[in-house]
Amino acid sequence: MDHKNENNNAVNNFQKSADIDSSFENFREHSVAEFFKKNKQMLGFSGKVRSLTTIIHEYVTNSLDAAEERNILPEIIVKIQELEKNERYLVTVEDNAGGIPKEFLGKALGKILAGTKFHRFMQARGQQGIGAAGCTMFSYITTGKPIKAISKFKDYVVEAEISIDINQNEPIIKILREDAISENEKSGLCVIAEFAEVKYEESSYGVLEYLKRTSLVNPHLEILFLDPENKKHLFPRSSNIIPKRAQEVQPHPLGLNAHDIYELIKKDNQHRNVESTLINSLARFSKAKAIEIQQMLDFDLKIRKEDFTWEHANKLVNAIKKVKWIAPSLDSVVPIGKEQLEKAILNILNPQHYAITEREPKVYRGGIPFVVECAIAYANIQDNNKKDLVDATTQTKNGQKKAEVMRFANRVPLLFDAGNCAITEAVKSIDWKRYNIDNFEEQPITVIVNVSSVFIPYTGAGKQSISAEEEIVNEIRFALMENARNLQRFLSGRRREQEILSKKKVLYRYVEQLAKDISELSGKNNYNELKKKLEELIEKRYLQSNNVELSEEEIMEIEKELERTENQSEVKKQKKLFDEESIEE
Amino acid sequence: MAKEEVVKKLEELGNDMVTEIQKNESPKFKTKIRAKSNVLYDPGLGYLLLGNKTEERTFLNIAQAKKFMQTIAIANKCKKFLQENAHTSIRGLFYQLKFSLGEDVEEELFSEQSESNPLIEDLELALDVKREDLNLTTDRKGVAAGMFKIIDRFGGENIEIDGTKLGRSGWAIPSDVDNDIEFKDIKAKYVLVVEKDAMWQRLNEERFWEKEKCILITPKGQASRGCRRLIRKLADYDLPVYVFTDCDAWGWYIYWTIKTGSMNLAYLGRNIAVPEAKFIGVTMQDIKDYSFLEKLTIKAKEIDIKRAEELLEYEWIKAHKEWVNELKQVLQQKKKIEQDALQGPRLSFVVDYLKEKIKKNKVLP
Repeated sequence: MDHKNENNNAVNNFQKSADIDSSFENFREHSVAEFFKKNKQMLGFSGKVRSLTTIIHEYVTNSLDAAEERNILPEIIVKIQELEKNERYLVTVEDNAGGIPKEFLGKALGKILAGTKFHRFMQARGQQGIGAAGCTMFSYITTGKPIKAISKFKDYVVEAEISIDINQNEPIIKILREDAISENEKSGLCVIAEFAEVKYEESSYGVLEYLKRTSLVNPHLEILFLDPENKKHLFPRSSNIIPKRAQEVQPHPLGLNAHDIYELIKKDNQHRNVESTLINSLARFSKAKAIEIQQMLDFDLKIRKEDFTWEHANKLVNAIKKVKWIAPSLDSVVPIGKEQLEKAILNILNPQHYAITEREPKVYRGGIPFVVECAIAYANIQDNNKKDLVDATTQTKNGQKKAEVMRFANRVPLLFDAGNCAITEAVKSIDWKRYNIDNFEEQPITVIVNVSSVFIPYTGAGKQSISAEEEIVNEIRFALMENARNLQRFLSGRRREQEILSKKKVLYRYVEQLAKDISELSGKNNYNELKKKLEELIEKRYLQSNNVELSEEEIMEIEKELERTENQSEVKKQKKLFDEESIEE
Repeated sequence: MAKEEVVKKLEELGNDMVTEIQKNESPKFKTKIRAKSNVLYDPGLGYLLLGNKTEERTFLNIAQAKKFMQTIAIANKCKKFLQENAHTSIRGLFYQLKFSLGEDVEEELFSEQSESNPLIEDLELALDVKREDLNLTTDRKGVAAGMFKIIDRFGGENIEIDGTKLGRSGWAIPSDVDNDIEFKDIKAKYVLVVEKDAMWQRLNEERFWEKEKCILITPKGQASRGCRRLIRKLADYDLPVYVFTDCDAWGWYIYWTIKTGSMNLAYLGRNIAVPEAKFIGVTMQDIKDYSFLEKLTIKAKEIDIKRAEELLEYEWIKAHKEWVNELKQVLQQKKKIEQDALQGPRLSFVVDYLKEKIKKNKVLP
């Protein structure tokens, strides 16, 4: 793995910038690690259940990205053990993603903001959180213990204890063992860490749900999860295709928030002033744009990166929003893909019925491309072989199935802050009754929505919900409506089928008695003939009534027509945007 | 109806259905609609009967399937009763047919008697037979005595019943007076139907039937099918029929049921109606004619008033101005009189009262 561009001056600079405001006078120098310690809730470490989910998320995401980068089909084992009955847990995450070379092991796991991802801009999972080093810190803060890492890289294995010097943001590493890898061992990384102030819970915010959803949108992933009760949950691989890597593109200015810009400037070691960093690192950021923006700022864009402050970043973001930009290229968006999603849904949810919609790429905020994928799965088929491994839909206390909305951004499950999310808003805005789905909340329906974009407009630093941009909400709505119509067809077809079945069943129940009575009453004593004939009559009768109905194809045609008119205005609008874009290109 | 004829009808019903099934049609039968909408009063005939609205019952109609099967099960059961020469009540029939439709089926052929009762009536109409012809009995109710002789073919014996030699208990009217009952000798001049058993006992003790050469019947309240059928059959011997009830709602109801038949049994039409029956009393006019009655009246209850108002609306009652007058007096005076009141002066006064009324034909139509 590539570990350069480390930066531990971030917070030092943050402090310097505080000169502007006298209330920051007494600010003493903090390391980034100490900053984290004080602001851990910002990074997903708030609440005991959420903290544990965040920890697992950080490790699993690292493993997934590493495997993808090395073209390995990922296999991850997650194990959570409760050490004492006072919410102290030992977390083990083991992958097959190639391991980390000894010289980078400390930095990868014991230095905040050091890693392979921060300096690169592409659609990647690791946009969130603060990485495995954050977990090391969290472990140290809550238990005072180092974590243990076993890295099998190429032909050797390193076992080490890693901790973090909070004041210096430097790893403390103690090598326990170094050895040649044995023949049948696979390379990979295993992290064993102890945590307190966390809690394992089987809720919609919990680790199990997180892993289930992760496997749902990563069909190439295989996860084995051992929960604190030592129950095994296997999420098997449903596809051997490693997803196409998103093309690395320069970030588009509109997709950045203050934090992103701050990071970008601070990590750039090649350009000495802010303006040249911006021009060289961002898409569509020309010299002309720089001049245009400079006019709106009260500081010089040509300042050195060391002098660049949070305050500057904020002002820059606001200025960027006021300028017209050419849209970013669409190459940067990589959705899951219909086929892959289908495989995973069948594999993980095993539903009685499902519908998947992949929308065309659209843009929001006038130019940021995104793609919406949506699936609706209806009730799972009870399969005893899989039953104890995965449960497709949430069971409420009285055993009734309940609707579930699974939100994803760039294939990362969003478990928290559902309230403000574009996906939640879109689901709520659907008039489910229109699709003959009464009481949506109580139906065994799983809604899966994945929004893919280089720049997901998250609502908060926790990056757990997507801002309800009108264009994004609309796209999700259209996708949901398309799937809802499909589900409606399935349900009404099933209802009709059931109705016919139950009618037939009733008639069949009376056949024997009637045949017997008619045969005796007439004195013909031809019970067998009558029974057979009556059964034929029933079959024929309900075959006829079926044929009266429209065929599936006919219904589809009618509904497609309806959708076309429904979307017309929307399509026009989008078309215009794309036309403008191609002209400017 | 002869047993053989009924069995033949049942077999025809079965054969028709076999033919239908063999022609790939749903088995079906036709029956008349028994709902109120199809009940009408024929002023010329003077009784209630069913209109011409018919209904087809077919097995493949999911709404009718169960009833259809049940009706045929009843038909088949009745065929067996006829062949075995055995009678049973409609309750007995219900128990004969109360069984599960299959080993693992929770549903029963019949689970309530209320299910089977209307289907019996459907079958009666479909075959144009009476339930008595299907060897189905109803509860016996009503007693007769007087100038008649009947042969009752029962238990392989021909038993002669002499209406004058029945002692204090009289002849309990069976539910079926058509099959295996033969009227041998009717020497009576008229039939007197009295509402209450106590009054019947009083008159029987007086040997009223002997003095008046009549047949004395009490339905003991509302007349049963068998009792109404007996009165009809006696009326067919050209005997006048007089009905003697209380002067109140219940009494009028008993009279009009005997005379015109009832909504529920409208399908039996003339078989069970006696339009030529006359109402002997007690009437409001009696209060004037027999002064002692004035003191023996009872205050009419709400139901009596309501009933009188209703009766005034019936077309077959409106047609008789005497009845309109009578009921209007009830509404005016708000009084009622029981037939027992006629024993007021002396126990045998009722005999004199009846004799006088019949002699002078002081009756309501």
